[in-house]
Amino acid sequence: MENLLKSTNLVQRAYWLVRLRWVAILMLAIATFAADRFMYIELAKTALFLIAGLLLVYNFILYDLLRYWTWGNKEPSERRIGWVLTFQISADLLILTMILHYAGGIENPFSFFFVFHMILVSILRSKWESYIQATSAVILFGGVVTLEALGVLPHHGLVGFAASDLYCKPIFVFGFLFVFSVTLYLVVYMTTSITEQLRVQQDGYARANALLEEKDQLKNQYVLRLTHDIKGHLAAIQSCLEIVINGMVGPLADKQMDLVDRAHRRTVKCMAFITALLKLTRMKLTGQLEMERFSLKNCVFNALAAVQNGARNKSIEVTHAIETSVDEIPGEAVLIEETLTNLLFNAIKYTPAGGKVSMTVVEEPAYVRVTIVDTGIGIPDEALPHVFEEFYRASNARATERDGTGLGLAFAKEVVERHGGQIQVCNNPEAGTTFSFTLPKNLVTASA
Amino acid sequence: MGQGRILIIDDDPDITEAMSVVLENKGYVIDSAADSSEGMERLQANRPDLIILDVMMRTSQEGFELSRKLKSTAEYKDIPILMLTAVKDKTGLDFKSTAGDDAWLPVEEFLDKPVKPDVLLDKVASLIPKS
Repeated sequence: MENLLKSTNLVQRAYWLVRLRWVAILMLAIATFAADRFMYIELAKTALFLIAGLLLVYNFILYDLLRYWTWGNKEPSERRIGWVLTFQISADLLILTMILHYAGGIENPFSFFFVFHMILVSILRSKWESYIQATSAVILFGGVVTLEALGVLPHHGLVGFAASDLYCKPIFVFGFLFVFSVTLYLVVYMTTSITEQLRVQQDGYARANALLEEKDQLKNQYVLRLTHDIKGHLAAIQSCLEIVINGMVGPLADKQMDLVDRAHRRTVKCMAFITALLKLTRMKLTGQLEMERFSLKNCVFNALAAVQNGARNKSIEVTHAIETSVDEIPGEAVLIEETLTNLLFNAIKYTPAGGKVSMTVVEEPAYVRVTIVDTGIGIPDEALPHVFEEFYRASNARATERDGTGLGLAFAKEVVERHGGQIQVCNNPEAGTTFSFTLPKNLVTASA
Repeated sequence: MGQGRILIIDDDPDITEAMSVVLENKGYVIDSAADSSEGMERLQANRPDLIILDVMMRTSQEGFELSRKLKSTAEYKDIPILMLTAVKDKTGLDFKSTAGDDAWLPVEEFLDKPVKPDVLLDKVASLIPKS
């Protein structure tokens, strides 16, 4: 996981360097043109334009290579992408040296640009590679200006910009190169020490995060085990009580019947809670969902049918409006239907008799949005950020309905997010609450 | 009145007892076993008309394994199996769509625990061949 992130990061950086180079090529062409045309500086134009052309070709090749390696979301190995970065930086140092040679050598203040390469290599590559690149920059640029001073290489002076004999003054060349080298090594030293510290920190966070996830999985397995065992006992208790209540083992006196019935009702509630907890925990423990295209419309109708009786008993009017274009989306139909039923049940449960619940399904560019609006008791403002937390129940919800599990909305959130959607809640200006969630119309590669 | 011989294989004695009471009440004859091997013994001693089989016993798969074994034996493959599960939540399997799929879950019906008495009676009545 960690490696993957790192290598993806490096790929992005490699692309970024390619993009920067397009700008650099443009700048080189413009600078050459402007210096020649407007500043009347004499330049080896042909050589410079040739270099710009070379750079252009080299950048195209790099770009294609990167695209080839990352085709179809492929992850090139960290090593390979590392070599690409090293190659890019080395080649850039060489090309910058060539440009400077054809444009005044030591007279050209663009030699400052070596600093950029030093910063980049210090951030993207290892410490020792950064020092090697600094050394190669010193050797390349130092070598060229020294050879120019000695007359081995021709000097393309920037006539009209700098004094024409500066390049062969030993004291100036020596002084310049000294400061140049010190600057590069210091930049590398400073940048690598900061980056190294950041890297250590980042690794620490990643490890802590992995540990937390591992602990969370352990907790989930533990909860699953526990609830499953409790469910077994509960099932036995419930079965026995049901036989007594059904009179299969003889009649009971009223008071006896009343007490057994109370006990039975509590086991039913406890079972509902255990079942909800098992469902949520199982969801959290399973990996990928089985994504198949299913009819959202059917799910909506099934959910509406499931809550019909409850709504009728409380004389709550449940309306729905589904945009005709909405139909099949990818996901697990069972889970979506359960989520819809959960949300509708909640809306009905927390809406006083005679109220209204409405459900709309609309299509957005990439998503389908389901909205459920009720005219119920609403959610206190301070409770709004917490309603999707496990076991959380708002104070007024507790007062209205003693036996909620506090797990229904946590389940809904888990389901929606697993599908790549989002769920929101807000209070209506008049009364009641609006729950709204989105589901992607097409399969998204979930970044788990 | 229902009639027929039913073998209950479940390691929870209370569940077994509860189901026995319900079924005996309707005139069925009940035999019971607490695990697969005892189940096989009872099966050989007294051929039942229906087997009620729990999925999770000593291992979480024991019931599945036994059902596959029975369905691949010529002698027993015609005895209907009603499978009881509390594992639906755990395995996340959609039993409804897989029941009857011979290769995977070779049982005639399944019920999720806890089973309501009338539901149990309905299923049993539908599975035991009328004589």
